Amino acid sequence: MDYIIENARLLDPATGRDEMGAIRIKDGIIAAISADASSLKTTGERIDAGGLCLAPGLIDLRVKTGEPGDEYKETLETASNAALSGGVTSFVVMPDTQPVIDGVALVRFIEDRARDTAKAKIYPAGGLTTGLKGESMAEIGLMSEAGAILFTNGDKPVTNSSILKRTMSYAASRDATIMSRPDETTLTGSGVMNAGALASRLGLSGMAPEAEWIGAARDLTLAEATGCRLIVDQASTPRTLELIAAAKARGADVFTTIAAYSLYFNEGDVDDYLTYCKVNPPFRDADTRDAMIAALKAGEIDAVVSAHDPQPPEEKRLPFSEAAFGAAGLETTLSALLTLVQNGALTLLEALGPVTNRPADILGLPQGRLSEGTPADLILFDPNKPWYCEREDLVSRSLNSPFDGKHLQGRAIQTFVDGELVASR
Amino acid sequence: MSQQAYQHTFDHAHLLGIEGLHPLDISLILDLADSYADATRAGKQLEPILIGRTVVNLFFENSTRTMSSFEIAAKRLGAHVVNMPIANSSVKKGETLIDTAMTLNAMRPDALVVRHSASGGPKLLSRKVDCAVVNAGDGTNEHPTQALLDALTIRRAKGRIEGLKVVICGDIAHSRVARSTTKALHLMGAQITLCGPKTLLPSGTETWGAHAATTDFDAALEDADVVMMLRLQLERMDGAFLPSRREYFRYFGLTTDRFARAKPDATVMHPGPMNRGIEIESAIADGPQSVITEQVEMGVAVRSAILHLLAGGK
Repeated sequence: MDYIIENARLLDPATGRDEMGAIRIKDGIIAAISADASSLKTTGERIDAGGLCLAPGLIDLRVKTGEPGDEYKETLETASNAALSGGVTSFVVMPDTQPVIDGVALVRFIEDRARDTAKAKIYPAGGLTTGLKGESMAEIGLMSEAGAILFTNGDKPVTNSSILKRTMSYAASRDATIMSRPDETTLTGSGVMNAGALASRLGLSGMAPEAEWIGAARDLTLAEATGCRLIVDQASTPRTLELIAAAKARGADVFTTIAAYSLYFNEGDVDDYLTYCKVNPPFRDADTRDAMIAALKAGEIDAVVSAHDPQPPEEKRLPFSEAAFGAAGLETTLSALLTLVQNGALTLLEALGPVTNRPADILGLPQGRLSEGTPADLILFDPNKPWYCEREDLVSRSLNSPFDGKHLQGRAIQTFVDGELVASR
Repeated sequence: MSQQAYQHTFDHAHLLGIEGLHPLDISLILDLADSYADATRAGKQLEPILIGRTVVNLFFENSTRTMSSFEIAAKRLGAHVVNMPIANSSVKKGETLIDTAMTLNAMRPDALVVRHSASGGPKLLSRKVDCAVVNAGDGTNEHPTQALLDALTIRRAKGRIEGLKVVICGDIAHSRVARSTTKALHLMGAQITLCGPKTLLPSGTETWGAHAATTDFDAALEDADVVMMLRLQLERMDGAFLPSRREYFRYFGLTTDRFARAKPDATVMHPGPMNRGIEIESAIADGPQSVITEQVEMGVAVRSAILHLLAGGK
């Protein structure tokens, strides 16, 4: 099918393009881009964007679903629907399911289910170790060949440094990318929120940032020693970013991410034991959050993820220390970023880069940019549209959003995958 | 037997490794071993040059194959052989290596054949005894008689060693065979490429004389004259150093398809014992280009030659 979206504000973080124009889509591919719509000829339909922003669809490096094993939390299909509603057109699913995605057959299962049930582009992450037990390396080579796009031990890092080093060494020789949570788990212990005065006042055990620094320092050191490509999975403090910047300066092939909700909330939001704000890494204090926003603006954070982790009420309607970690995030990533644009903290292009071309470059994906010949995974969004987030209105099967009851600004209006309109409001 | 080799004399008290040997030493050993192999094949008795001599096989690590090979090699030359598989003995309990050496030395053997799990063990022992010490494998350091038998097998199969392209594939890091054989073949002028998973491929292999080290077996095999597969220890297979047996076989198993990349007349070797279906396909191990059983045969000949040179002259 061939058509043109015109009268749109074209936003392409890859090239810095920010101008009114039109885009021609043919057979699912961006066929032409022009500031002058009349110069684009088409045999098909012309869609008037009415001045809305047209940007690449979001690419999310960290999504959990419940498929296979916990389909009551989320399936690939329901996660895909939530993603498309939120403007996310591609996402990586984590391997910590039941069973764990640690073999070729399971990678193929995810690919098959994604193809059969989901309209978003879903990329399986393979388990780094068998059963994510951190004891023996999984079949990284064979899973890579089957399509696993990166390898991770999920929410828990590999605690044995010797095993991690060998696994990184092996992964490097197969050109595989590893994503690892920076966490010294013996230090984090049974912590449930950011360590500090508030945790002390609430009587909750704290998660000290030192655990993240030690974990990141170890992972980065081993990645440098082995030549492994590493994504430090969700930094939550500037000091973690300093470690990453130093490794990059020495030439290490390393990246880092942050959860979109961590750019919005701070530990104060946990007050009153709000379990929807129980996440890992925890919300830090407001100054730390503001410093992370500044770091995002400075380009020191490579990608923003949803860290989507659907949890049903029975896992969240519990005393804070007993409730599950995790927040639904697929539908609010874009809005969280656009809120920062509204605040004047980021420009539109600065907000979009970490969810489009930069994660695409980490994964080696062709999409995530407005350029001729690339897949037409696109979103039309209104950066100014105010909306009230009510969890009952969310598409995700689990509604554990910390944004419940928040007024947000900016939202995807239409979402296209391979040129096909797959969500609109 | 070349004239040049016999003008050269073997001027070593022990055989502790390939390191320290001159190419002429190796040629001399191979020439002598070659003559022993031919004589044995022809059904001839060897000259009993070690008659009245005592050879002690002191094995701190179990190895029926290697110990038997040394035993037959020594007996063919008329020596008395005493096998001491220390791994199962009370000697191991409590006594230090040097105490064991002193005890044995007092019994006045003519040669000690030593296998030990610690790199440098035979060398330490050689400083404390008055007889010749032959290293039958020490830790992850050297296994010189294996390297010499590999060299002899190659020389007989190809008519030369110099200029051959040799690929050694497997657990290079933990292999004393890889170290010794690389050193020996390098000294004799071959070009050696070491290949294995990155976790089993140590750095610094250029100091052994290796031409290259790679994780890409397919590329390494291009135009190879000799392909030597190493045994993968079971405990390294399942997740510790590599993901699984099938993933290992996928990337490093010598299959018929993969072997086609080597020269049409390429020779296949394996120090044994083989893991069929993990490092090598049976069709190749048992195929016409395999010299794996000839390696065993050459092992006896090379060990006879070594014992002759070290213990036969007194």
